[in-house]
Amino acid sequence: MKKKISFRFHRRAFAYPYMIFLLLFVVVPLVIILVNAFLTDDGQHLTFAHFVEFFSNAGGGLTVLGNSLIIGAVTTLICLVIGYPCAYLLAKYHAGSKVLVLLFILPMWVNFLIRTLSTKAIFMALDVKLGMGTVLFGMVYNYLPYMILPLHTTLVSIDHSYIEAAEDLGADKLTVFLKTVLPLSLSGIISGITMTFIPAISTFAISEILSSSKIFLFGDAINMHFSKTTNSFGVGSVMSLVMLVLVIVANVIVNITNKDEEVKSSL
Amino acid sequence: MKKLMSIVSCLLLMCFVVTAFAACASEKPDSLVIYNWADYIFDEKLTDFKEYYKEITGKDIDVTYVTFDTNETMLTRLTQGDSNVDVVCPSEYAIQKLIEGNMLVPLNYFDEAKYTSEFSESVKNGYEHNSDNIEPGIIEKVSGAFGSLHIDETGETVSMVDYFVPYMYGTLGILYNKYAFMDLGIYDAEIMNKANWGIFFNDDGDGNMLSPGLTGNILMKDSIRDSYAATIFYMLERGMLDGRKNEHGVLYTDLSAGELINAVDDQLLDIVRRVLVNQKDELFGYEVDFGKDDLLMGNAIVDLAWSGDAMFAVEESWDKNIVNDDGTKGDYRLAYYVPHSAGNIWFDGWVVPKTYNPKHMEAIKIFINYLNRPKSAALNYLEIGYTPAIRPEVLQEDDDAMQILMEGYEYDFDSAEDREAFVEEFFNYVDEIDGSNWRYPFLSAELNDDNYRNIDTLGVMRDFGDKNKMVVTAWNYARSAGVSALPLLGWTVLAVAVALGVLFAVIGFRRWKSHRVITHTSSETQVE
Repeated sequence: MKKKISFRFHRRAFAYPYMIFLLLFVVVPLVIILVNAFLTDDGQHLTFAHFVEFFSNAGGGLTVLGNSLIIGAVTTLICLVIGYPCAYLLAKYHAGSKVLVLLFILPMWVNFLIRTLSTKAIFMALDVKLGMGTVLFGMVYNYLPYMILPLHTTLVSIDHSYIEAAEDLGADKLTVFLKTVLPLSLSGIISGITMTFIPAISTFAISEILSSSKIFLFGDAINMHFSKTTNSFGVGSVMSLVMLVLVIVANVIVNITNKDEEVKSSL
Repeated sequence: MKKLMSIVSCLLLMCFVVTAFAACASEKPDSLVIYNWADYIFDEKLTDFKEYYKEITGKDIDVTYVTFDTNETMLTRLTQGDSNVDVVCPSEYAIQKLIEGNMLVPLNYFDEAKYTSEFSESVKNGYEHNSDNIEPGIIEKVSGAFGSLHIDETGETVSMVDYFVPYMYGTLGILYNKYAFMDLGIYDAEIMNKANWGIFFNDDGDGNMLSPGLTGNILMKDSIRDSYAATIFYMLERGMLDGRKNEHGVLYTDLSAGELINAVDDQLLDIVRRVLVNQKDELFGYEVDFGKDDLLMGNAIVDLAWSGDAMFAVEESWDKNIVNDDGTKGDYRLAYYVPHSAGNIWFDGWVVPKTYNPKHMEAIKIFINYLNRPKSAALNYLEIGYTPAIRPEVLQEDDDAMQILMEGYEYDFDSAEDREAFVEEFFNYVDEIDGSNWRYPFLSAELNDDNYRNIDTLGVMRDFGDKNKMVVTAWNYARSAGVSALPLLGWTVLAVAVALGVLFAVIGFRRWKSHRVITHTSSETQVE
């Protein structure tokens, strides 16, 4: 009696490599961070000391978090204020916009470190004092495309007949915008906000370069704990967890507000 | 048929493997794994060392050269125990940590018989032990600071001198733009020697502002240990420590520079935190990698720097358009000095971790000793910029080394006149501001014992040990505090409020207007 061994591939087998990748490079590191947050620095005992240190602001962690959230929020707001009209105009003059959209994405083809260093060089040449203003400029400059792109996609996909209908019913231009275009593009606004806000609160290179490390953001603080000092992985891990919680919260908010929309967040 | 094919292919594969192993076994060269700072040797391919090794042992050697960028990276890698390096070059405090963690093998370099005891006879013939070349001042300093290290695991007390072989050393000091200082009117030995470390805090030494032009032009190092040392020295100078006692009841002011930078406690850290937060308004920033460039490009005026980095910056700052007082052209824009109130001196040295490959011991020892030849030291000096741990007299007496150094500095080696000028410029150089020789601090200590720096004012910094956590927290606090985004938030809220106000006003106005038109028309119809 011979049994025939069959090697039948299910279609889902093609997903295994990626599942393994996720497991190794996303889940395992997260678990390590979680474990580190509760271990003493010599790794022998369980402790809450790292949480106490972070939430008591002994190392200034909360100050940094507050500053980061404010700077992130302001960056996002400025990006929205600049990005929405941009995306709106791009969507409106759709015919020629392929080239225009390309122009907006073009800066992203250059490595962002190079762009940021060049920005610094320009500021220095113009004798601008590095500080909060320059950091904010760098952040807006870097994250603006992430705001424009989702907005553009949503605005382009709005059925023009809605607008025509509103106009037929006697609405003037401002009312058309406020009552049709704006509500219909809400999903784009929300995904634009998350795509800008989350990287903006975790950034570290931009603030480091454009303020000569004077403005210390949450990303800088985490970076410091992991790369510039020995034996402070614990507090660094706690901060990473806080960051993770912020990301999850942001995504949950997006999912709730976007329940019926097509644009869903990544989580 | 298929079976046959697979058997044949298996056999073929085996043949390959076997021959490969055989080839290896027959002429396998010696090997060595070196773990060093990036850019910290004159020849990363080590071709010169390979030749030297062949000369002495008659054998070829395969060298694997790996680099690290901070002591912390290196320590993490070594303590995790997954490395198999043979020889490492950490800084003094990292060596202390490694010794205390019972992770190093003693080398006994200064005991020639012990060091060479395991050498094969053929090697011993061509081998020349170079421990006499090493600057005795370093050994003295290291024995003073790390003379009795305690290994917890074994309970032994050991001296670092038995474990490491000095490689390079240097100081922590002030790299500044000489011409910018002239413009500000503070390029003056008297002013600068009064301000000392206060320069980083824009303090003239009495608590007054040194110069308004310095504000926003000062760079600190984004490194806990260095910034901590500079801050402590400043606190000492400015009398912030006067009358204060440490937990053992000793006045801080009675401690030597070396003792003071190692006396970490809550009281000191509290002041350090305050001083660093206040300093922020005066800073251009904390330099990470671009400090030298910022100074060369004129973005900042002062930088806390290590002597070797400073030397490169100074050499790069040569400006041939400057006209000197005596009519000659060309001068260095930047300069470096160590305030002589107190300072920090540091060492890097070669050590062997316990995870080394015992078969490589001979190669390890030959390599370390090779670096202490005058010729290697001269080549290293030109490449790295830090001072090699070789006595300056040894370099001066060695023609090979002198030729390398002089040609590196574009002097004519064959001219006796040039040689004299070079010795004056290189070995006996004395800085205008602090009257000391920062390339050879030990030499200048002897020269200027009475009026200027005594070598005791240069302290060696130990590992913070169990205080490390406290210092890290204090440093994080200092970096975080002092800058607030609240004004930004305030302005944004205000801007949003104004924008919304305008928007509603416009909408309201339009509503009102359209409403009025409607009522107007309706009233007209009524009249009709």
